[in-house]
Amino acid sequence: MRTFVSLAAVLTACATAGAWAQSVPAAGAAPAPLTRPGLVPFDAISGADTAWMMTSIALVLLMTLPGVALFYAGMVRRKSVINTMASVVAIAALVSLLWFAAGYSLAFTPGNAWFGDASRMGFSGMEYLKDAKQVVVSHIAPHIPESVFAMFQLTFAIITAALVVGAVVERMKFSALLVFISLWSLLVYAPIAHWVWEPGGWLARLGALDFAGGSVVHINAGVTGLVCAYFLGPRRGYGREAFEPFNLGLTMVGAAMLWVGWFGFNAGSAAAADGRAGLALLVTHVAAAAGAMAWMAGEWLMRGRPSLLGLCSGLVAGLVAITPASGFVTPASALLIGAVAGIACYWGATGLKRMLGADDSLDVFGVHAVGGIVGSLLTGPLASKMVSGAEGNLAVQALGVAAVAGYALVGSALLLLLTRLLVGLRVDEQTELAGLDIGQHRERLGA
Amino acid sequence: MLDSQKLAIAAHLHVLLRRKTGRVTDTEWMVVNQEYASEVVRFARAKAREDHHEDLAQWADKLEAVVLGTPIASVGPDSLLPSAARTAGQTALDRLRERARQEGSYVRGLR
Repeated sequence: MRTFVSLAAVLTACATAGAWAQSVPAAGAAPAPLTRPGLVPFDAISGADTAWMMTSIALVLLMTLPGVALFYAGMVRRKSVINTMASVVAIAALVSLLWFAAGYSLAFTPGNAWFGDASRMGFSGMEYLKDAKQVVVSHIAPHIPESVFAMFQLTFAIITAALVVGAVVERMKFSALLVFISLWSLLVYAPIAHWVWEPGGWLARLGALDFAGGSVVHINAGVTGLVCAYFLGPRRGYGREAFEPFNLGLTMVGAAMLWVGWFGFNAGSAAAADGRAGLALLVTHVAAAAGAMAWMAGEWLMRGRPSLLGLCSGLVAGLVAITPASGFVTPASALLIGAVAGIACYWGATGLKRMLGADDSLDVFGVHAVGGIVGSLLTGPLASKMVSGAEGNLAVQALGVAAVAGYALVGSALLLLLTRLLVGLRVDEQTELAGLDIGQHRERLGA
Repeated sequence: MLDSQKLAIAAHLHVLLRRKTGRVTDTEWMVVNQEYASEVVRFARAKAREDHHEDLAQWADKLEAVVLGTPIASVGPDSLLPSAARTAGQTALDRLRERARQEGSYVRGLR
């Protein structure tokens, strides 16, 4: 659930939906609004909303499996394709288990302003009581079962972690990646999600707008990726040799899955099958198209030819930038956001990348962090009260960007230091030269 | 540049060295190991000076350019030297464009 609403709006929405408190109210009295997960009767659940959310779960998970896997695998050198794909699959499974073990509870229970409580830890909660005809819902999305809400959130946790892979490919130890992501998912991702999306989170209380994860997902992943790239050091031959991508056709297929899946990412964040979700879907599409065209134009101007990789990168840039704004802006604003992101992320993946000097292999920072920053900041002036009832504030958006980026930077750095102590970070030279497919998995692509 | 093209350059130098100096080299290792490639380039240039084999020097230059990425003045029209593009009358945009084109082909970045 990506919408920021004031506490008053939450109470109003809950009252309108007929959500019940954990104790049955007196006859004729309005049900008390939920302030934490609680049981409601079956008829408090919206079938349409639930169906749409379950569809969105599938769409967003497809973005990772196999969307991100293909997108990235197509861009690495042949000798590390399997490792890249294995990294994404392993992260999906690992984060899934950690989510229900602890991550969901840390992110989406009231707790305090900084992190949630332990009430959903250890695979607990998600009650479905057939005889009592009650099901538990989250206070954030009281029209759908909490199981559905938690699964939707999980798909975001998964893709955020999977995006980091793009910065570390071709040189990070598989074991180190698993250790790092385990810690990062619980100690970096979950708290940031709590700050922005839990109504009691400190950024949510300040009014920071992030409909579907511009900061929680993209700035977070992008900054983390950059920190990882600095810690790992550049790949051998970086800057001297040409690192030819394995198969840009795979990258295109992955990008296409991202584009379509993003409808679930953004429109699903409305947590309802309604007009706002429909508008979010439309603005997502417009921004993707604008981003693709803007990047293409920039590349055509600078390099003399458009490229498939540029088109794919541009559409992703547009999608990233519209993510925080998708529940708050009009189609015209989406066009602007997508176009600005296309150009900004082109610079992020070229000129800015040179300035930063890190081997962010697949431009996770240049596309996701830069795009997320562009979108988050533009949400401030472009958020329309007509659409969401919320007004944006550029200063608050900037604070949100800085807070998330700063925490991701410091948190990731500390966890990388710990991971380095535990298992080391980088494969040895021989493994790197031979390729991680053989070195880490004893597998290779066919002929 | 494709790996196959690099191998082709390495193979050509290998044949020249074998023919003109009797030295046997490892073609594949030349492409993947920069220290080895540096040594082969040094040897080929030394032999080119001593025995006046101009083609040895030229192919040594080509190998150095593709494996070690070192801009060489003797590389032909498709020189990687950014300075070659900087003339007095160029605009800033022209310089940016030239740099973007010369840094293409997946060196220092995919995009």
